Amino acid sequence: MTIKEKGYAHWDGKLQEKRFPWFPITRLGIKLAFKKKYFKFLFSMTLIPAIIYLAGIYLSERLEDFRFMISESAPFIKITPAYFKSYYTNDFILFMIVMIMVFAGAGLISDDLKYNALQLYFSRPLSKKDYIFGKASVIVFFMFIVTIIPGVVFFIMKLIFSGSFKFLIDYPWLILSIFGYSLILIAFFSFYTLFLSSLSKNRRYVTVLIFGLYVFSDILYGILYENFHNYYFSLLSIKCNIKQIGAYIFNQNRPLPVPWIYSFLVLLFICVVAGIILNKRIRGVEIVK
Amino acid sequence: MSIEVKDIHFWYGKIKALDGINLNLPKGAIGLLGPNGAGKSTLIRILLGFLYPHRGEGRILGYDIKTQQHMIRRYVGYMPEDDCAIPGMDAVSFTCYLGELSGMPHQEAMKRAHEVLFYVGLEESRYRMLETYSRGMRQRLKLAQAIVHDPKLIFLDEPSSGLDPHGRKEILELIMDISSKKDIQVLISSHILSDIEATCSHVVILNKGRIVTEGEMNVLKQIRYNLYEMKIKGESAEYFRKLQEMQCKVDYLDDGIWKVYMPPEMNSQEIFRLAVEERVQIRYFMKSQTSLEDLFAKAVGIEG
Repeated sequence: MTIKEKGYAHWDGKLQEKRFPWFPITRLGIKLAFKKKYFKFLFSMTLIPAIIYLAGIYLSERLEDFRFMISESAPFIKITPAYFKSYYTNDFILFMIVMIMVFAGAGLISDDLKYNALQLYFSRPLSKKDYIFGKASVIVFFMFIVTIIPGVVFFIMKLIFSGSFKFLIDYPWLILSIFGYSLILIAFFSFYTLFLSSLSKNRRYVTVLIFGLYVFSDILYGILYENFHNYYFSLLSIKCNIKQIGAYIFNQNRPLPVPWIYSFLVLLFICVVAGIILNKRIRGVEIVK
Repeated sequence: MSIEVKDIHFWYGKIKALDGINLNLPKGAIGLLGPNGAGKSTLIRILLGFLYPHRGEGRILGYDIKTQQHMIRRYVGYMPEDDCAIPGMDAVSFTCYLGELSGMPHQEAMKRAHEVLFYVGLEESRYRMLETYSRGMRQRLKLAQAIVHDPKLIFLDEPSSGLDPHGRKEILELIMDISSKKDIQVLISSHILSDIEATCSHVVILNKGRIVTEGEMNVLKQIRYNLYEMKIKGESAEYFRKLQEMQCKVDYLDDGIWKVYMPPEMNSQEIFRLAVEERVQIRYFMKSQTSLEDLFAKAVGIEG
């Protein structure tokens, strides 16, 4: 006899108070991102710089083995904090991070708004904090793979290939820089993407916003700088602000003559505004119309 | 009692949505009726713990509606009125996912998802993407997600809206089956009176933020007033005007038949005495079986 014929049957288990109630939201977000067309290809493209930089570390330590392949005058690859900074702040990586946000992040909240899914989430024992944390963790997951993991792997590989701890002794703060810069990047892009995703029920508009704001802010800086020759307009550019902070954290010369703290405050301001608006846009009370 | 609220008041700005709601609802299926703007949705929001009442207190399944909303949502199932889904999922994953969010372990949630999808009649299409579901299938799916974690109390908001007669009958049968379990309480908010009449043993009628009628369906239908159907010949306008002066409510049904709602303290002989006075002939007179529609019309009409 099927359950339909038997009638409603009780479940004999016990509902649990979960330690991470947001985890299924994160797992689903990651799963749905990988289901998207071209996402796997795009994501693997994002890892190409990491592979190239890793190869660079290997070559720098084993250059003698490859001497026959390069000319005598070829400069040595020097692994210093500048090498790490160049990985983290290169245009390609930043562009690919934005592309990941477009593919994996644009629909995170906007799809829930479009399909009235918020009422399903909030009729469960989930708080707004759990919901946002679950969604943000999807972005954190992808950003983690692109930022912290390569940095840590570069660092460990440098130690392994060199066969000594000299690099660690010379730059003991570098591992903290890797984590610090990556966390700033992760926090900023999480707020940026979730905020924009909560603004519209249409994922395409959100896609345009995520990509457009990043590119437009840089173009705007370019136009204003060409007209007024003032570097402080770089504070309008998301990319320039990230690069300024990156240069400071990795103890390198700033690309622009603007205090890094201004760039940090600009990104912090964007995060705070995004958090406030996000908090207002996602309201449990709207779940019953 | 699973649902107990006392003196609940709620305002949307200056608009009073709920005005001193007191409820003490028993187990079983309960119908929540009322015209638009009566406060049904606001009451459900408060019962689910989404809104914080400005005044009053209440307990759902023993949990405080002001401080223990999390616990309420753990043990309550909710079937929303609107279409809702998570795109890119099939029905099994969707139901399992919502079971997990309710606190079920993944394996158990998956097993239970299959069971409830069989139960609601979606066994054949449980691996289809939700975007391809018809309206009727989506209604069943919403019911499945509401019961996946085996809640003790289920809120069903317009469960049969948009369904064809066959689909509606099937959904109502499922609701009746669920509510027949003595330990599950079902609260159905609907504007389709026949649905409430078919499924509920208890009814609450709201109007303008107040409870106008509440009680066991059978008792309310029989005791609160007497309903007669009659056909008359002669000058009806003056006759019915005088009946209304005697606190009766008169409605035209069809085919020359009038419905007269008579206060319980009034003797039906008065109808005949007035007919003699007004020189009208009563050609047909019968005590009618009252329906929920009559009760609703009378309650909302009189109070309104």
